[in-house]
Amino acid sequence: LHFKKLTTNRTDTVNSKCECQEKSAPDIAGIIEEVVRQIGTEKDKVIPILQEVQKRLNWLPSEALKQICRITEITPGQISGVSTFYSQFRHIPAGKHTIRICQGTACHVKGANLISDAFRRVLKIDTERNTSPDDLFSVEEVACLGCCTLAPVVQIDDKTFGHVKPTEVDNIIAEFLHHAANKKKVKDVVDFSTGSAEIRIGLGSCCVAGGSREILSEIIEVREKYDLDVKLKPVGCVGVCNQTPLMEIITGENKHSRYTNVRKGEAEDIILKHIKPRSLNKKVKHRLNDLIDTFLSDNKIYSPVNAPEELREKVLNDFLKKQFHIATDKSGILSPESLDEYLLLDGFKSFRQCMRLSDKQDIINTIMESGLRGRGGAGFPTGKKWEIFSRQKGSQKYVVCNGDEGDPGAFMDRMLLESFPYRVIEGMLIAGFATGAGRGIFYIRAEYPLAVARIRNAIKQCYTAGILGENINGSGFDFNIDIFEGAGAFVCGEETALITSLEGKRGTPHIRPPYPAVKGFRDMPTLVNNVETLVLVPWIIDKGPAAFNSIGTEKSKGTKVFALAGKIKKGGLIEVPMGTTIREIVEKIGDGVAEGRRFKAVQIGGPSGGCIPESLSDTPVDYEELARLGAMMGSGGLVVLDDSDCMVDMAKYFLTFTHKQSCGKCTFCRIGTKHMLNILTRLSEGKAEISEIIELESLCLSVQKGSLCGLGKTAPNPVLTGLKYFREEYEEHTRGICRSKRCMTLLRYDINDKCTGCTKCSQECPVKAIPFLPYEQHVIDQEICTKCDNCRIVCPENAIEIVNLNDQY
Amino acid sequence: MISIKIDTKEFSVDEGMTILEVARKAGCKIPTLCHKDGIPHYTSCMVCMVLDKRTNNFIPSCSSLVQPGMDIDTSGAEVLNLRKKAIDLLFTEHRAECEAPCRVVCPAGYNIPLMNRLLGSEDLTGAKRLYSSGLNTPFLWCWNCPGYCENACRRRKIDIPVSIRNLQIFNSGETIPPDSEPVQKPQKVKKRFSSFTGVLDPLELSEWVKESDKENIRHRELSDRFSAAAEARSCMHCDCRAAGDCRLRDVAEEFGIKDTGTKIVNAPALRKINPATNLIFENAKCIKCGLCVRICEDKTEEPALCFINRGFISIISEPLTDNFVDVLRTRAKDCIEICPTGALSCYKGNPSDEIKK
Repeated sequence: LHFKKLTTNRTDTVNSKCECQEKSAPDIAGIIEEVVRQIGTEKDKVIPILQEVQKRLNWLPSEALKQICRITEITPGQISGVSTFYSQFRHIPAGKHTIRICQGTACHVKGANLISDAFRRVLKIDTERNTSPDDLFSVEEVACLGCCTLAPVVQIDDKTFGHVKPTEVDNIIAEFLHHAANKKKVKDVVDFSTGSAEIRIGLGSCCVAGGSREILSEIIEVREKYDLDVKLKPVGCVGVCNQTPLMEIITGENKHSRYTNVRKGEAEDIILKHIKPRSLNKKVKHRLNDLIDTFLSDNKIYSPVNAPEELREKVLNDFLKKQFHIATDKSGILSPESLDEYLLLDGFKSFRQCMRLSDKQDIINTIMESGLRGRGGAGFPTGKKWEIFSRQKGSQKYVVCNGDEGDPGAFMDRMLLESFPYRVIEGMLIAGFATGAGRGIFYIRAEYPLAVARIRNAIKQCYTAGILGENINGSGFDFNIDIFEGAGAFVCGEETALITSLEGKRGTPHIRPPYPAVKGFRDMPTLVNNVETLVLVPWIIDKGPAAFNSIGTEKSKGTKVFALAGKIKKGGLIEVPMGTTIREIVEKIGDGVAEGRRFKAVQIGGPSGGCIPESLSDTPVDYEELARLGAMMGSGGLVVLDDSDCMVDMAKYFLTFTHKQSCGKCTFCRIGTKHMLNILTRLSEGKAEISEIIELESLCLSVQKGSLCGLGKTAPNPVLTGLKYFREEYEEHTRGICRSKRCMTLLRYDINDKCTGCTKCSQECPVKAIPFLPYEQHVIDQEICTKCDNCRIVCPENAIEIVNLNDQY
Repeated sequence: MISIKIDTKEFSVDEGMTILEVARKAGCKIPTLCHKDGIPHYTSCMVCMVLDKRTNNFIPSCSSLVQPGMDIDTSGAEVLNLRKKAIDLLFTEHRAECEAPCRVVCPAGYNIPLMNRLLGSEDLTGAKRLYSSGLNTPFLWCWNCPGYCENACRRRKIDIPVSIRNLQIFNSGETIPPDSEPVQKPQKVKKRFSSFTGVLDPLELSEWVKESDKENIRHRELSDRFSAAAEARSCMHCDCRAAGDCRLRDVAEEFGIKDTGTKIVNAPALRKINPATNLIFENAKCIKCGLCVRICEDKTEEPALCFINRGFISIISEPLTDNFVDVLRTRAKDCIEICPTGALSCYKGNPSDEIKK
């Protein structure tokens, strides 16, 4: 076996960004000329050009835009339209470091807006300029960072902080600055040298956020220190994102030992338990140290090394037992950066099988028989789409992989692209081969740098290996793949909007028909498939349609990947057979909600889906069943809510999102969603009349009927399901009551008589609303209080309560 | 050939036709705002919605191609309701008056803004003609009127109102007040539909005032044509220059829409003027149909209008890198003509045309 030495590009791009910052007066004209020479002058290159220019200048000054128009075919109208449409582009200079505060669903239910307020307060960042007075930090509220199990999440440049509390902001900034100043070059180079034992460590985004890079460098140190005979292998996501970082040790006898939640400093003990040093000298030294440690401290007893194996494995097994892996097949085994390994483990076998077939129609028939439906949300039969597409004639036919996963609270596509890049490429190749397309395009969100890097690396390796390119395997079949990075617009997940975006225009959807399969990118037939759809294809070809067909329900076949997050004990990325009930997912896989809380509902399908109440949670996961309840499969975000979540607040949260992400083309979506949001805001402030609920409902129905694309048509779903299943909560809000204590305008903070007068709250209050009264019961001045939640977090006695404004003292 | 049903009648039509085209041939009236024959469709206003009874989906007829077996309903109650809702929603964004507030409250219904424009441009004959054509009472009411117009004058909110009554008296040329009872309250004069601007931000108001006050000194004493012209020029022109040629207004009247006055603000209401091409752009009146953007798309050498921003805050604007006076040097007239509202119109207007109407 020959594995190549690999590096990840991620840190490199971050570094180059910083260097540009430090240049005092960048030569704009020169930079633009260079970028244009590199990318091209055509009209449809506008997004890549803007992205590259912004990468180098950190923002887009108007001279730069003018200069681009001068030397390319791009018109001023196009460039201003495009650069203001996509949220990635900045027209004002940003600070040196960017603080990205995740506003995903999971983070929202765990108080992301308090975090964002806290950062703005501490760094004195106003909403207008968005940058701290010293130009060091900029704040960006992003739709989702895809680390939902670590919610609430904040990312500063490339460092991710999970489980953030508003009181910790100072520490986080200090830690970041310390980290930035003493930036050690983390060893990214991982060698695949053979050894008698193997250590696998997850390097998916969640694992990295959980600290697996630190663990990795620790393992490398330990290996050097004891001269261990082991092979190190970074693997993709295992899905157990709540237990990151995950480490697996395989010793000679093919014995697997898995450790979850590995903390800094524990790696050494864990490794040495299973793998013994080679030299006698080091063996003795280790034994001696170990013995002394046992006598001197208690750490050893609680160390995971001493935990019984069953207990250690139980966490994982419970989580994985109910699952069925097709898309995520061989998770935790496959290295996302090694083509050779993928080939060794039956990779591209299905593609070879397809190439041997005499009739390409057989492939389409197989997909049709399997009953596979599009995993992007709407569930159009994939085989039928391929059939229509294959019948089209065109000088160039395109297959587009839709990886523009913008749903807050969903990270399936990101994880599939990061962990199984070769499998996605294989699915795309099969689709292209079966339907006679010669070009593939990956459309991936720019917010997923690791996914882009992995796919780019995988494509490069495939070209070298002759799996991509001209005349593949001497079959006369040509297939080339390009990558297109999205620029931050949720609506581009809609296939027609995605295509307009590829063409370098504002990503507005247009009416179908003509369907993209008939007339799409550059007016050529274009097949747009979701990442998950393509990833399932190789398995179906390999195992046959019947194997896939036998899993699932009558109309929904196979499995579905869900991002399980929210108020749940064990979140993560799961793949379950269709037809699994929601209750099974929440209680069996997710282990239920936290102690003392009541499972209230699940939000399924993100902003296009709805809330399904606990009473209906025996509903199986199935396209039709979910639609019947008013929700939607969507792309597969599954956020669990408990009794501390307010349905009005949830609806308001999703409407804020859809209203921001609407492209603004059609009347109903542009104006209708704004009115809906206004009514919901009034409800959450207790200002709405009962008649406005009826108005809201009728508005929802109009927007549903009258919108042009899926975004608008499904935008009212969160409100409509809320009204259907939790109407009494909406009605309560008109009387100024929020039973879940979420709608802050209706609530106030109060200190009850449990208070011991420890003064902690008084010290922590950023606005001095609590007078300093040692040994006395503290009082909050309601006039000054900004409801930042700091006092409640620091109170050791649980003396701080949130009560409804109408309640008496 | 495809056979489809429109309002229960069977038609056999060519492939590639839109539902709107077929329906028009069949004699069904479908209102449109963002659609214009010969220009690529954009499907924005959703006023042309029809129902496909076969799938129970509502579809915009201007851009939907006919499909075999369609069963289209163009005038059912549900369809009309949805269209009405679309127009309602457009009006919540359309912050403008068809008729100026002063004219709306005037008991005699004088066209005050037009008089101001004529006097302001020192067109005394035109103003006189307007006076004689607009009178529906035997004598000038302004002598005895408590001044509803001046009370309603938008300028009053931040400044002293335009002295409309004095201007009207000056324009009438009469010197002796008639001997009659003072006007007590406005009488209902049958008027056309008029939308509302809603509450204007003081900042927006001051922008408007600034624009009408350019190099202009106001006069309270109207002794001659020059002082009258100066005072008339301080009018903010709250009325719509395209009041007589507005498809949005026509559609609103057709559907019996009542503007409730609840408005949502997506951008400050600004007026951008290009005197060279006699073009005024008022973004608050725009319904984002994109027609002006689309007709300029074929000609790319001169800067044209474009959409900026996304979603609710998306507006029509000059490209970020250009000044408003640089855009639409040759296409201004076409854009004014195609605009379904008064968002793009002639800055100076064409007063004599208005009198004829």
